Amino acid sequence: MKRLLFWLSAIVLGVAVGAGGAVAAMGMGARMGVEQVGGWTINRLAGSTAADPVTRAIVARVGLLALAQEETIYLQMTRDEAGRPLREACRYELTGGALPARWWAVTIYAGDNYLPVNHDDAFSVDASRAQTDAAGRWRAEVQAERGDATNWISSRAAGEGFSLTLRLYNPEDAARTRPRGIPVPTLRTIGCAGGAP
Amino acid sequence: MKWIGFLIVALGCAVASFFAVVHVAPRALMHVAMTRVDAGVDGWRHAPRVSETSRAVVRPSPDLAYSSCVYDVSDGAVLITMAPSADYWSLSFYQANTDNFFVVNDRAAPQGVRVALVRAGAAHPVGDFQVVEAPSARGIALQRRLAPNAAAFAAADAARRSDVCAALIQN
Repeated sequence: MKRLLFWLSAIVLGVAVGAGGAVAAMGMGARMGVEQVGGWTINRLAGSTAADPVTRAIVARVGLLALAQEETIYLQMTRDEAGRPLREACRYELTGGALPARWWAVTIYAGDNYLPVNHDDAFSVDASRAQTDAAGRWRAEVQAERGDATNWISSRAAGEGFSLTLRLYNPEDAARTRPRGIPVPTLRTIGCAGGAP
Repeated sequence: MKWIGFLIVALGCAVASFFAVVHVAPRALMHVAMTRVDAGVDGWRHAPRVSETSRAVVRPSPDLAYSSCVYDVSDGAVLITMAPSADYWSLSFYQANTDNFFVVNDRAAPQGVRVALVRAGAAHPVGDFQVVEAPSARGIALQRRLAPNAAAFAAADAARRSDVCAALIQN
C-alpha cells in the first residue's frame, strides 16, 4: 500500500506540474510574444497552420480566430514605457503616424480579453477616424474620462492589467518579413490617480 | 535509487500532461466557440455591432462587422458565399484545432466569393465556385467587413443578408 501511494504521488505531482504549467503558459500568452517591436509584442505564427502546439494554445486563449499574418498582423501592448501593467487609474498618450498597412486600428481589452464594460463607445482608434496633424501624425489618449481628447480610447472599467491590440490589415510585405521595422505607436504615461504611476 | 525513480516518473507525467493540455485546449476552446457561434442558427449568423456585450469570441474588433457559420462537411460539400461590400472585407475558414487554413479578401475577389467547402481528400464538385478542402470535418467560417461607424455597419449589414452557408445541392 505504501509503495502504491509513493508511485501515485509521483504521478499526481507530475500531472499537476505539467497541466498547471500548460495553463500558466496559455494565461501568459499576451506577454509571451516571440518578438518585441517597440513596446509591443508580436507572435508571427498566430492563426498560422505552421503554429507550434504551444503557440496555438496561447492564441486559442487570447486571440481565437486570429487571421494569419499574410492577412493581418496583431501586436499587443500590456505594459507602459517603464514596464508597469497598464491601469485604468492612469492616463496614457499614444502617438503614431502612417502605418504600413491598408487599414489599422488600436483597440483596448480588459484583463478578460473582452472590451471593457463601460458603454462609452470609445474602444478604438482606427485609420479612418483618427484625426491627424499636417504631418500625418495622430495622438490618442487612453484614459477613463474623455476630457479634451481628440482621439479617445476609454479605459473606464478596464481595471488593472488591460491591454492594447494594434491590428494591421493587409500589411505591406516589409512589415510581415521585418516586423521590427514597423513604426509602431508609442505610449507615454501622463499621470495616475493618487500620483504614483 | 527509489527517489530517482520518483523523479523520473513525475517528470515524465509532467511532460506528458503539459503536451496533452496544450494539444486539447485549442480544440476544446474551438468547440466552445462553435457552440456559441452556432446557437441553433442555420447558415450565417450575422452578429450585431460589436460592443461591450460581445462575448462569443475573445478580442472582437469594434470596427468590424462579423458573420459566422459553423460548417460541417462530414456528409458532403458546403456552399459558402460572401457578397462584396464597400471597403475591406475577408472570408476566412478555421479548422477544429483553430488554424486559419483559408482566407480571401476583397482585393483578391472584388466581385465576392463562392466556395464549395469539402473534406480533405473528398471528390470535388463541379460548378461556378472555388473548391476548398477543409482539414477537419467541422470548423468556423468567418466574415469580416470593415465597419468603424454606424453608417458603415448598416451598409455592411445590408450587403451580407443574401450570403449563403448551407449544404451544396447539385442536380
